[in-house]
Amino acid sequence: MKNKIEISGLEVHYEGKPALNRVSFDVHENEILGIIGPAQSGKTTLLKVINRTLEFVPEASMEGTVKLDGVDISTIGDVYGLRRRIGMVLPLPVGLPLSIYDNVAFAPRAAGLRAKSQLDELVERCLQQAALWDEVKDRLNTLGTKLSGGQQQRLTIARALSHAPEVLCLDEFSIAIDPVTTMRIEEVLKTLKKEMTILLVTNLVQQAKRLADRTAFFLNGDLVEIDTTDVIFSDTPTQQATYDYVNGTFG
Amino acid sequence: MNAMMTRALRKQERVSQCITFIILGSVGIPIWNVLQKTYAADTEAASAATPLNTLSPPLDNLYTVLSISFVAILFGIACAFYLQEWLPQTNWVRRFIESIVAILGGVPSIFYGILATGIFFSYAGTLKTIGVVRAPQGPGDGAALESLSFPHDTPVFYIVVLTFILMVMPLTIKTTQAALRSVATPIREAAYALGASHWQVLKTQVIPIALTQILAAGCRAMSSALATVALIFGIYVWQYTDAPGEMSNRFVLFLSSALLFSIFSSILIKLCTSASADPAHPTR
Repeated sequence: MKNKIEISGLEVHYEGKPALNRVSFDVHENEILGIIGPAQSGKTTLLKVINRTLEFVPEASMEGTVKLDGVDISTIGDVYGLRRRIGMVLPLPVGLPLSIYDNVAFAPRAAGLRAKSQLDELVERCLQQAALWDEVKDRLNTLGTKLSGGQQQRLTIARALSHAPEVLCLDEFSIAIDPVTTMRIEEVLKTLKKEMTILLVTNLVQQAKRLADRTAFFLNGDLVEIDTTDVIFSDTPTQQATYDYVNGTFG
Repeated sequence: MNAMMTRALRKQERVSQCITFIILGSVGIPIWNVLQKTYAADTEAASAATPLNTLSPPLDNLYTVLSISFVAILFGIACAFYLQEWLPQTNWVRRFIESIVAILGGVPSIFYGILATGIFFSYAGTLKTIGVVRAPQGPGDGAALESLSFPHDTPVFYIVVLTFILMVMPLTIKTTQAALRSVATPIREAAYALGASHWQVLKTQVIPIALTQILAAGCRAMSSALATVALIFGIYVWQYTDAPGEMSNRFVLFLSSALLFSIFSSILIKLCTSASADPAHPTR
């Protein structure tokens, strides 16, 4: 299977304090990689490295290489183009202070798409994929920040899908969404898998079990284990810590 | 601003602002007329004394001050944008300017007036000439005003200009930087994660959110400068004074026009921004 992202020897320090220690693994194309682990284990930092928003953190320093389609991302000159290839959903919903329509159309417009008919079509498709269309189709011009927390989170998912990313990073997307809607979005993710590679950071171990093809377990900045989900959630993973975490003995 | 207000309340507020504006306007126009009439009589004598002067004295001063503060405010806003958005926090230029701004911004504005007055007096030796000035004996007798006349090409004019810039710039830089800093980081991060460039983030997110505060910052800087450097006005106006008793009269008139202007501008800006505050304001 083709590797979409290759990470080798990745080390991140915040003011000398390590956040990721020599992490190396590959993400295959068109798979859902579940990333589990307790807080402070470097999951969010990993996503920030991939879309190069770690550069905005002045005290962070990084070593090692991250390759997207075989190209080292730190050598890519067009960083905005790179970020457009990677969809990102943050744990807390951040509605941009624009209308719902403009929220979803923000990234395509930033990329230079102006045609109204294309934008309309795109907005409708993305909102439908994020299971939000039925609730907001009558009020697309109201302020996106006026939506409820769960709706805003789905709006951010629609926004992340709007620029047709190759890699979709979901950072605990279900934290503000009710279980029924979560299930609807999980169904969407399963269909999206055919078009893109999905990195799913989650605190819900069962969610990783339901969705992920492979699962990586992080602990204190170390990659403890990465294997197919069946192995991680079986009774015999390689590491004892994985077994303990997955079965709720700690964490 | 007004994030928690309902639509009806906001409308009510806007209506009351309009009414205040109209009332102030109807009061202000007669005052303005009186001002102009008072000085129109002096214009001939004044222009005889200072040939460069073409407008009536109060208007001339007011226009001078307005254009200076306009330029200073625009420059201050641009400076704040550059410091906050383009220079890293550790840059020595930024640290240097920020420390200067912190010092100058903390000085009460009356001290600027006193500073300028001190330079003014010591430069022109005016203290000695108070009361010494005699009224013009006839048309063309500019000698009486000679010791006190400051045409626009003398250094005294630049002292006034520099005082204004010195006072308005730090205030504007400080408040504009605070306004830019108040734009929540997650909003910027979200916009960056969607592949927007620095300029696109500024244009579509940061400026709309911070615009209200930036406008208010400029307005506040200008009105505080106008109100407290009225002291300089008073002294600047002396150049057209031919009797000591008349001076206090002019000073009061000038002060009132400056205050009136500052109230006007603040209400105007409030009127302009309250209409656009709603879509620009993030609830989170």
